[in-house]
Amino acid sequence: MKPRLIALTATALALALVVAACGSSSKTTNGSGGSSGGSSSGSGTINGAGSTLAAPIYQQWGSTLKGQGLTVNFNPVGSGAGQTSLAAATVDFAGSDPSLKPSDKAKMKGAVLQFPVAAGAITVSYNLTGVKSGLKLDGPTVSKIFQGTIKTWNDPAIKALNPGMSLPATNITVVHRSDSSGTTQGFTTWLSDVDPSWKSSVGEGKDVNWPTGTGGKGNSGVAAVVKQTQGAIGYVEQAYALENGFTYAAIKNSAGSYVLPTIPNTSAAFLGITVPPDLGISTINSPNAGAYPIVSQTFLDAYKDPCKDGGASSGTAAALKKFLTYAFGAGQQTLGAGSSQLPYAPLPSSLADKDNTQLATMVCNGSAIS
Amino acid sequence: MRGTLFAATIVALIPLVLVIYYLLHKGLSLWFTSGFFTTDPTGSFFGNPGGIRSAILGSLVIVALATVISIPIGIGVALYLTEYGKQSWFANTVRYFVDVMTGVPSIMFGLFIYIVLVTSRFGGSGYAAWKGAVALALLMLPIVIRSAEVVLLLVPSSLREAALALGAPRWRVVFQVVLPTSLSGLLTGSLLAIARGMGETAPLLFTVATAFGLTFNLNSQMNTMPFLIFTDITSPRAAIQNIAWGTALTLVTIVLIFNLFARLIASRSSA
Amino acid sequence: MEASATTVSGGRSALERSPAGRLPDRVLKWGLSGLAALILILIVYFFIRLVGQSGHVFSTYGLNFVFGNNWDVSRNIYHGGALLFGTIVTSVIALIIGVPVAVASAVFINELCPRRLRSPLSILVDLLAAVPSVVYGLWGVFVLAPRLLPAEKWFASTFSFIPWIGGGVPQLYNYFIAGLILAIMILPIVSAISREVIATVPQADKEAALALGATRWEMIRMAVLPYSRPGITGGAMLGMGRAIGETIAVVLVIGSAPKIGSHLFAQGYTLAAVIANEFGEATGIHTSALFAAGLVLFVLTLIVNVIARWFINRGSHGTRGTGATGMTIASGPASEH
Repeated sequence: MKPRLIALTATALALALVVAACGSSSKTTNGSGGSSGGSSSGSGTINGAGSTLAAPIYQQWGSTLKGQGLTVNFNPVGSGAGQTSLAAATVDFAGSDPSLKPSDKAKMKGAVLQFPVAAGAITVSYNLTGVKSGLKLDGPTVSKIFQGTIKTWNDPAIKALNPGMSLPATNITVVHRSDSSGTTQGFTTWLSDVDPSWKSSVGEGKDVNWPTGTGGKGNSGVAAVVKQTQGAIGYVEQAYALENGFTYAAIKNSAGSYVLPTIPNTSAAFLGITVPPDLGISTINSPNAGAYPIVSQTFLDAYKDPCKDGGASSGTAAALKKFLTYAFGAGQQTLGAGSSQLPYAPLPSSLADKDNTQLATMVCNGSAIS
Repeated sequence: MRGTLFAATIVALIPLVLVIYYLLHKGLSLWFTSGFFTTDPTGSFFGNPGGIRSAILGSLVIVALATVISIPIGIGVALYLTEYGKQSWFANTVRYFVDVMTGVPSIMFGLFIYIVLVTSRFGGSGYAAWKGAVALALLMLPIVIRSAEVVLLLVPSSLREAALALGAPRWRVVFQVVLPTSLSGLLTGSLLAIARGMGETAPLLFTVATAFGLTFNLNSQMNTMPFLIFTDITSPRAAIQNIAWGTALTLVTIVLIFNLFARLIASRSSA
Repeated sequence: MEASATTVSGGRSALERSPAGRLPDRVLKWGLSGLAALILILIVYFFIRLVGQSGHVFSTYGLNFVFGNNWDVSRNIYHGGALLFGTIVTSVIALIIGVPVAVASAVFINELCPRRLRSPLSILVDLLAAVPSVVYGLWGVFVLAPRLLPAEKWFASTFSFIPWIGGGVPQLYNYFIAGLILAIMILPIVSAISREVIATVPQADKEAALALGATRWEMIRMAVLPYSRPGITGGAMLGMGRAIGETIAVVLVIGSAPKIGSHLFAQGYTLAAVIANEFGEATGIHTSALFAAGLVLFVLTLIVNVIARWFINRGSHGTRGTGATGMTIASGPASEH
């Protein structure tokens, strides 16, 4: 008798859960996911996916906007995956560090708008006892380290850049990303810019054939390996470096100065760059004299007509517009160097204005979104 | 010799002990944080990271749906194999294919559902909880079928023949003799399949994605424990990494309870 | 048919059921057959979609995809030989480490341990399978890999004369760690099957050996193990099948370097891990390459499973082949791929 009772109870519970799930689809305040069935304009749920660099930003904003009735689900799967999801219209917006190339745009279901949102520095973090701060590195040296030609910390090339600093003979362990990543894209783009030999032998991309080194999954994977390995060096986003108290190097920028990845130096990367009409900027190796050279911009990408091309309802489109308006407005106040701000560089007002102008062109099935 | 073999058995159990110890060490304190089980993740970078309520309930809902799909179908197929198909070429082909299904890596089920249901935006949604449930059901199905078949075969033919001799129609024999007799075995197999489903990550990656807030809407993205563990562990914030460990402890506990329960029923019912 | 005392109208025997009475039976039979057919259709459809998605990369590279050695995403070159190498190497390591321990524990539990301990010990070993693989992976990242690195370094330098095993500079994430985690994950399935098989050894064989004066251990060596060898081999192959397809645990500890590693403690990559790492990003021929990797995995596990079943069926003399071991195969270990 007992097993029968258990079986019946279990089945009843399972069915109850399922009925509850089906039944409450109309009652839930979160609205339906993706872009099916809408709720009142400006509230509801929007889904995004993409950049791990920007994930903390969107997750923080989502948490704030929840209080205003807007639910933002962001899946930090990486810039490329975000773009692919947007192309398949399985999400309402994508977070992407690299700007959209013409080949990327061709894969989309319709015209896509890209909005620069913020920038984050990519630090060159290391773990070396006795060398706590002040290490200087330039492009060609970093390139040689990551190519494996410079193998020890007391190599003459490193010594030459850091006279007066005592460097141990420890082996250098290079750490890179094992998964595809916009951070890798930013880092390798900079390396290709500053070292022609890197460009020809390895090249740039979200995923490259690393000549040497260990792979860690995600920024935290790289951070974990660096933390655990004496003599390790890896490229890690600012937020992770700061959270983990990493030591990072000052890198030589295009103007010849050695710059640390502080927020002001990251913001400086926005100044002096050219802004193309589709807002596909690049802050890597910025010409600005005070800028940190390895700064990755990050974009929010969405369809110009999310209803027609992305299958969104008018309610979802309105919610998307509300999210984007927040992103270029009040959301920017949450970014910066303050203790209660997220460690990213906010947009200069000129760029934020351009974003807002572009946002106004977003429509739903041809008509303007309220 | 006995000592060596005993040592080997202990060696086999060492990882279990170490893993559980580590989970307790890193995750137990999370259980006593206020709101861990009663609030949802907030995604907030600075403030309260919230709890894991939506993940626990999301996992339960998705696995429940997967169970509702896979268990009736699984037992049905097993019934076919034992009562009707027996050793016919068709039945043996089905058995072979079920064997094949047990060997498929779970990520492939997720990808299959991804290309069939997600990219086609079937049902008006991209990633959806019910699609993840279907992927899990595909995973659980062969387990249910194999274990149910074994159990159904153990029902003595004398029982079946006695019922038939009394004039009962085939369907009565199945529902009133075979199934009740094998009930505890079927239950064991089902519980083990459910335990398996709860711990899976790969099938959910490309079918359900995730959500922070609590939702019971099957046609939307939903939070789940394995997914939460997988993504939270990569957060720069130590507090959120700790949540991943707390979730891992919760997940392992739930799965262990299902397993122990199943084995208890199995050992109770067998002599 | 002649009219007789037992016929009713229409010439049916009174003992036969009426057509209406047979309807539920027919419905049940055809309904259940339909479900069974559904399974067949599902797998075939799955295979067809898989092949369809992989077609592009196979038509571009042919068999080079499987055996060539150059996986370069940024240049869109997909030769997955290094991935296949990694899959096989990690699975073999898992077998070498896991099977002896599993069989030893099975022998101990069935033959040598006190009766009262039998059930608790076997439940504990089976519980190894209850830990989700993401948890094993994380434990590998945070505990196993860093803690074992010094030992690996000592091993590599002490045994540097053995080709491929020693002599290299151990990396934090490597083939060995991945193989070790896989060994832990396949242990419950191999142990469960071994226990089942060892339990079917006829008592007469064992008593005969003891009667001839054999010690306990000699009895096991002479009567139990040879009898169970086919079944245990089958179990080991099933374990290998699981190891081949394991994704989440491996992706965290393999190092993800798409090269053929030069030593045991080098980083590598597996077919399953590459799918998990790169699928979200992939487009065009890259997606096709990842599906093709899945196809190779599918075929591999198919082959291994077929061999395994054959061994197990051969080994269970007297008992219905899949019967005795079916329950444990299907329901026991719940390790994730």
